[in-house]
Amino acid sequence: MRKHGLAWWAAAAFYSLIALGPLLWILRTSLAPEHTVSVIPASLSVEHYRAVLSRPEMLRYMFNSVLVSLATVGIVVPVSLAAGYSLARYQFWGQRLAPLFLVAPLLPAIAILVPITRFMHQLGLYDTLAAVILTNAVFTLPLALWMLRNFVSGTPVEVEEAARIDGCSTTGVLLRIVVPQAAPGVIAVAVCVFIGAWNNYLYAFALTSSQDLRVLPHAILAFLGQWGTYWGGLSAAGVIAVIPPVFLFLIFQRWFVAGIFQQWSR
Amino acid sequence: MRGSLSFSSQRNFAATLLLLPALALLIGLLLYPLVLGIRSAFEMTGADGATKFVGGRLFSVLAHEPRFLADVLRSVVYVVGNVGISFVLGYGAALVITRPVRAAGIVRATIIIPWITPPVVSAVLFRSMVDPSKGPASHVVQYFLGSGFMILGNAQSAMATVIVHSVWRSFPFIMLMIAAGIAAIPNELYESAAVEGCGAFRRFRYITLPLTKLHCAIVLLIVTMWTIQDAEGVYALTSGGPGYSTEVVALRLFRESFLNFDLHIAAAVGVVLLLISGVFAALYLSLVGGKRVEL
Repeated sequence: MRKHGLAWWAAAAFYSLIALGPLLWILRTSLAPEHTVSVIPASLSVEHYRAVLSRPEMLRYMFNSVLVSLATVGIVVPVSLAAGYSLARYQFWGQRLAPLFLVAPLLPAIAILVPITRFMHQLGLYDTLAAVILTNAVFTLPLALWMLRNFVSGTPVEVEEAARIDGCSTTGVLLRIVVPQAAPGVIAVAVCVFIGAWNNYLYAFALTSSQDLRVLPHAILAFLGQWGTYWGGLSAAGVIAVIPPVFLFLIFQRWFVAGIFQQWSR
Repeated sequence: MRGSLSFSSQRNFAATLLLLPALALLIGLLLYPLVLGIRSAFEMTGADGATKFVGGRLFSVLAHEPRFLADVLRSVVYVVGNVGISFVLGYGAALVITRPVRAAGIVRATIIIPWITPPVVSAVLFRSMVDPSKGPASHVVQYFLGSGFMILGNAQSAMATVIVHSVWRSFPFIMLMIAAGIAAIPNELYESAAVEGCGAFRRFRYITLPLTKLHCAIVLLIVTMWTIQDAEGVYALTSGGPGYSTEVVALRLFRESFLNFDLHIAAAVGVVLLLISGVFAALYLSLVGGKRVEL
């Protein structure tokens, strides 16, 4: 019933250009030979990627980023699934805390990063990746918990009741029924948490001082300090850092977007 | 609440047990540091190295410091600029991607990508675009303002760059939220409006806009809070420069915390930031909680 003609395509092209333009520029800069002046380079080269990847510490930083992001997912997903399930299915005192989980992701993490850093010092965890992982976990947990709570609320409870009547334990119900039923929600949360941890610069910067503990965003800013305006190399490192989140998002797009809708629009 | 399990003390115990790991993490690593941080905003370290309680003295220092007042003003400019432009762009994008066109899904995916780009990467990317000798944005600006013009060397254009960078990262999220609102509007409303002879503009004005009001309010609050607390995007893009001209409150906090290590002043700025966020968070809860959240 609604017509869409030229105007729609013009608007769609306008928005795609805004979104992709800067990304095309970083791709172009990473692939154009150094000292290319024209906007569209006459030839392409992988020299910048070779320059970046030939640095042994770069592989270390990529490994750190993967480790931090995966470990954060490994902590947040089971913890938030258990908590989200309890809030969705049980009537108990925990219900009263629910609004706190909704608001916590919006509070300024930077305002409590100094005391967290001091606390990590006391725990003997300062300057370890464990500190970065724990901090990423604690800041992504409330959002993950809320998403999974909403997700579990939306799955039918009857299957669980039937399993209980058949003598299944709480652990059994969780592992055999809740986890498979909540799988799309779990995947959406895992993708969100991974991207959040992968993209974060602040926690790694605050909680580590050793060079070989840097994660990619931290490393890229350090490169910026050292290399100045070597945009080819910086862009190549940037493209490397942007690939995992974009790749994950494109694969799991449907669940990711549905998860975001559930989180914020309920 | 849909399908909750029946109550018994055993069930209550199981529920507590399941919630416990999350609570332990949040209390230990969020609540406890929060209390520590608030406490240290009321303390100072004396010349002898001892920490003593000074009441609200740090806040009155901040309130009389021209630099801090300017930081607050810059935060306001940053928030109003980013939220205002992102909202208009994001609403437009939501209208585009909710049309029943097959390509809409691809356009949606394309527009979301800036939002999931690491802030440090997008900041470096924007720096390369405004590079005085190689950046395409610089070439355009220099055509009008003379060759030699450095975008990040001028207070106004540096702030504009910070805002444009933030808009690029924020409007996709606004689009997603408002698209969720538009998608929930029943199609019959538009059909009967069309029968009544309403044009596209009036359908937007009298159906789409009023029925997405709640989504707009919620997303405006969320993006406002994100913009207030954004330190890493600004730091990676301008480090607050030239001079203090892009130093917003969150960046001041970042500098005092991790570059100057003036931890008590940092804590005081942190408390100010928490208070401002608290006001917006309360507004947000009353909107979301009153309308949809079933507890």
